[in-house]
Amino acid sequence: MARRKAPQIKEDLTCNLIPMVDIMFLLLLFFILGADMSQREQAELVLPTASEIKENDPFKGKDATTTVNIQHRPKSQNFDCPVNSQGGFCRETEHWLFLIRGLEFTHATIKDQLKIEADESMEPDIDPQAGVKLSARKVIIRADKAAPYGDIQKIIETCSAVSIYKIEVGAAVPPQG
Amino acid sequence: MAGVSVGEGDENPVPINVTPLIDIIFCLCVFFMISFKFKQIEGKFESWLPKGKGVGGVGVDSSILEEVRVAMFWDADNQRTIRQMRNRKVESDEELGTLIKEAHDDWVRMNKPETPVTIDADAKVPWNDIIIVMNLCKRNQIDKIEFALGAPPPAGGGK
Repeated sequence: MARRKAPQIKEDLTCNLIPMVDIMFLLLLFFILGADMSQREQAELVLPTASEIKENDPFKGKDATTTVNIQHRPKSQNFDCPVNSQGGFCRETEHWLFLIRGLEFTHATIKDQLKIEADESMEPDIDPQAGVKLSARKVIIRADKAAPYGDIQKIIETCSAVSIYKIEVGAAVPPQG
Repeated sequence: MAGVSVGEGDENPVPINVTPLIDIIFCLCVFFMISFKFKQIEGKFESWLPKGKGVGGVGVDSSILEEVRVAMFWDADNQRTIRQMRNRKVESDEELGTLIKEAHDDWVRMNKPETPVTIDADAKVPWNDIIIVMNLCKRNQIDKIEFALGAPPPAGGGK
């Protein structure tokens, strides 16, 4: 009796990478969409919290906007503020910076910049209440919670002087629970 | 993982080497994972300047003070803010909220619901304390909030 030869099984040991590639694509998509590309506009600050604020709606608002960040000068080789480093309230005016799109301004230079921004978006007609042309530009003041109120006053006064009247102050939504 | 390809076999004669693709996606994934951070939800208080009196530096007629004034002074020695309303120092937020509401309700009863709450604060007061007062006003449905210009005279240990 002739012995039947067992059929040879061809083994294919290559791993199937398609599910892994799919998952990695999804992860990539998630991180790309979640990446915050507006960091130059918004400096890293500890904002004060307020429960009654209106949450920002990213799909609303077509006004030209300028965000003025007010933050303490960061620690560096040439600069250190012991009060701020220890979590205290630094009240030195020179230690606080105005930042617009990552550029630093001082009390002396902020007016020129806000004037440029205001002039870019002037309303076409004279406002009947004010009797002058006003700027349609909106200014968002994002100040660190420890920032001296005088700096915010300075921005409000400067906005008033350059005909900007749409001002918003930023705050953070308090954590739930 | 080098040399791994998709589509090997008799049914597909053109295998695609996916190793470079996976390498690049790995790098991109690592980059975005490291730069990813959970952002705090932010919002805003709309505080538009009055067109008729504030813009252009025109002064406000303050001959008759129809307002609810909250004075705030910076106590540098104790590193805290002193809040004062109707010549009375107010410690807690709840008490301040009640006082603001009572004072505003008085104006509402006198048919002047548009009477603003004026925050008259020292330039050194931390911004967080101003936001707390604004938040108390909003919580009590008071929308008209004004900022007084210039610092009030120091009183009661304020500097």
